[in-house]
Amino acid sequence: MLSMKNISKVFQTDLVETHALRDFNLEVQEGEFVAVTGPSGSGKTTFLNIAGLLEGFTHGDYFLDGVNISNLNDNKSATIRNEKIGFIFQGFNLIPDLNLAENVEVPLRYRGFNAAERKRRVQHALEQVGLAARMKHLPSQLSGGQQQRVAIARALAGEPRFLLADEPTGNLDSMMARQVMELLENINKAGTTIIMVTHDAELARRAQRNIQIVDGQVCDFTMYQGGARQQGMGTKADKPHLVTDADKPSDESEQAQTEQAAS
Amino acid sequence: MFFYYLDLAWRSIKKTPFLSLLMVLAISIGIGITITTLNVYQLMSENPAGDRSDNLIAVQLWSQDKDAWKEFNAQLTYQDAYNLRKSDVPTRQTAMFVTGLAVQTEDPDFVPLLESVRVTDSDFFNMFSVPFIYGKAWDKSVDTEAVYQVVINEALNQQLFAGEDSIGKTLYLDSKPYQIVGVTKTWSPSPLYYDITTGAFKDSAQIFVPFSLAPIEEFQSWGNNQSWKRQSINSYSERLSSEMHWIQYWVEVQDDTQRDEYAQWLKRYVEQQQLLGRFDSPEAAAKLSNVEQWLEINEVVPEDNKILVGLSGLFLLVCLVNMLGLLLAKFLKRAPEVGVRRAIGASRAQIFFQHMVEVGLIGFGGGLLGLLWAWGSLSMLSAHFDLEDALTQLDLTMWVLAPTIAIAAALIAGVYPAWRICSTNPSVHLKSQ
Ligand SMILES: Nc1ncnc2c1ncn2[C@@H]1O[C@H](COP(=O)(O)OP(=O)(O)OP(=O)(O)O)[C@@H](O)[C@H]1O
Ligand SMILES: [Mg+2]
Repeated sequence: MLSMKNISKVFQTDLVETHALRDFNLEVQEGEFVAVTGPSGSGKTTFLNIAGLLEGFTHGDYFLDGVNISNLNDNKSATIRNEKIGFIFQGFNLIPDLNLAENVEVPLRYRGFNAAERKRRVQHALEQVGLAARMKHLPSQLSGGQQQRVAIARALAGEPRFLLADEPTGNLDSMMARQVMELLENINKAGTTIIMVTHDAELARRAQRNIQIVDGQVCDFTMYQGGARQQGMGTKADKPHLVTDADKPSDESEQAQTEQAAS
Repeated sequence: MFFYYLDLAWRSIKKTPFLSLLMVLAISIGIGITITTLNVYQLMSENPAGDRSDNLIAVQLWSQDKDAWKEFNAQLTYQDAYNLRKSDVPTRQTAMFVTGLAVQTEDPDFVPLLESVRVTDSDFFNMFSVPFIYGKAWDKSVDTEAVYQVVINEALNQQLFAGEDSIGKTLYLDSKPYQIVGVTKTWSPSPLYYDITTGAFKDSAQIFVPFSLAPIEEFQSWGNNQSWKRQSINSYSERLSSEMHWIQYWVEVQDDTQRDEYAQWLKRYVEQQQLLGRFDSPEAAAKLSNVEQWLEINEVVPEDNKILVGLSGLFLLVCLVNMLGLLLAKFLKRAPEVGVRRAIGASRAQIFFQHMVEVGLIGFGGGLLGLLWAWGSLSMLSAHFDLEDALTQLDLTMWVLAPTIAIAAALIAGVYPAWRICSTNPSVHLKSQ
C-alpha cells in the first residue's frame, strides 16, 4: 500500500540545513494500524506530511497504492489526497466559520459530489462519530474531544483508504483520548489503513504495529507477530513483543518510549 | 463549485465588514473617477451621425497657392461653395455659415434678442435628420430664388410664441420680416460635427435662414474666416469673390459609386479652375471625408481629454495597489484554513479560484458604488461648471462597463494575493493553531 525507499528530506533555511528524514525506509500493508513514536523533532510530522503528499521530499522513491508520487503535479496529488487520504491533526483544524456539517462537507465539495450525495455522506460520517445531532453547531461550541471526532468524521466522509493522524489525542485528556482511539480502531477494523503519530505509549501499544523514528530514520521496529487484529488489540494481555535492530531488551525500549511521552 | 466559492466569499466579506468596505470603497472611488472621465471622453468621441456617417460627406478644397497653407482648410471660399452648389451629382447638399441677428416679434413690448443664426440650404434639415414639430424646411426653390423665410427651434418657439404652432407668423431679423415655415424639435448632436470650426461642443443654432439671402442681406460671418492671400476686402461683394475660407460645405451620397462620381466631378472642377488661374499648387485637389473621418481629421476629441483618461487610469491603479495590500493581509491571515483545505483535497487552482471569486465579488460591489460616484460627480460637474447636458449624462454603456472594469481591475489586484495564498506550503500552517 505505502512504500518509501531511501527517502530523505532536507529543510534549507538561511543558515542551517536540517535533515528531517534521512535514508528513510518503510513499507505499510493494506489494513495495518501503525503507531509512530519518537522523540520530539525526530521527523515524525515530516514523515506524515510526505506520506500525505503535503510536502515533497529531497531524495528517494515513494509509491502509494502503486502510484509513483515523486513526479505528480499539484492537481493529481490534490486528487489523491482528496480521494485516498484522510487527515487528522493534533489541533483538530476545523474551519471555525463553518458548522459541523459544512466542515465535514469540505472534502466532498472538492470531490465534486452532488448535494444529495454530500448530505448522505455527511450524515453518515457524523453518525459514525456520534455527533449527527449537532450538525448545525459551530466548532467553538464543542469540547476538544468532540471537535476531534468531527475532524475524524471529516476525514471519513470521503471514505479514504488511508488515514494519517498526527498526535490526534495530543490535546485531549485520557478519557477523551481513549474514545478517539476506540473510534480509530473501529475505523481500522472496517478496513482503513491508519498511520498514527503519538507520544502516548499506552495508545501506541494498542496498535497492530509500532515504529519509532529517531533522528530522521526508522530506528526501532515493533510488530505484533501475526493476526493481531483478530486477537483484539489494546489489552494488557496483548503486550507487544518488541523486535529491535539493536537487540535491545524489550522492557528497556518500552521504558524509553514512555519517558519520551512523559517529557 | 462557483456557487460554493461565492458562498464562501460572501461569508468572508461578512466576517470582516470593515476591511471589505474599505476595499469596496477603494475600488469604487477609482472606478467612479475612471467612469466619469471615460463618459466625458466617449461622448466627445462618439459619432453623432450614427448609420448616416458614410452618407454625409464634408468637402474640402486645396485652393491655396503652392507656398501657402500646407493642409486642406476646413472651410471653402464663397465662390467655390457657389459653384459646387450647381453640381447635380450629390443627392443633397448644403453650404452654410453662422451669423448673428437681432430677433424681434410683432409684439412691440418684446425686447430684441441677439441670436446666432445658421445660414444654410433647404437640404440641411434632411441631411442632418433635423426633426420638425410644425411645418418643414423652406422650399428647394428658395435656395436659388431667395425668399424671407425662417426655421426656428422648439426652445425659441416656446420663448416667443409659448410653444404654439407659429407657422405663417412673422419674425423680424435685423428688422426684416421673415415668415416662419418650420419649427424643429430640440435637436443638438454632440459633437456638433457639421460645424466644428468654432468648437465641437456647443449647442445647435436656434434659427435657420436661407443661404440664398446671404448676398442680399450681407450676413456677417460669426465663424472662422481664414485667408492665405493678402486681399483688401472693403465690401460684401469683394468678400464673396475673395479667397477667404468661411463656408462649410456638406453633400449627401447614397453609396460609394456616387461618392466616386462626385470625386470625379470635383477633380474636373479643380482642373477647370486651374484654367482660370486659381488652384495654383501641385497639391491642388478636393478631399471628401465621411463623418467619422471628419471627426478624426479635426481631432474632435481634445488631447487634454486623453490625458485626463490616462490620469484617472493611473488613479485607479493607485486604488488597486491599495487594495492589493489589504487583500494580501486578509488572505494571509486565513492561511491555516487554507492549509486544511489543501490537506483535505483542494488543489492550488481551486484555492486560487476561490479567492479570485471573492475578489471579483468585492470588485462588483466597488463597480456598483463607483457608478453612484460617477453619477454624482457628473451631476456635480454639470451643476457647478454649467456644462452642456450632452456631456454629463451617464452613458448607458457605462452601466455595463463600470462593473466590468471594476471586476477586471479587482481580479488584477487579486492575482498576487490569491497566488501567494495558494502557493504557500499547507504543512507550515497545519502544525500549530
Ligand atoms: N518547515 C521547516 N523548515 C525548517 N526545518 C523544519 C521544518 N519543519 C520541520 N523542520 C525540522 O525538521 C525536524 C523534524 O521536524 P518534525 O516536525 O518532523 O518533528 P516531529 O518528530 O514531528 O516533532 P514533534 O514530536 O515535536 O512534533 C526538526 O528538527 C525541525 O526543526
Ligand atoms: Mg510533530
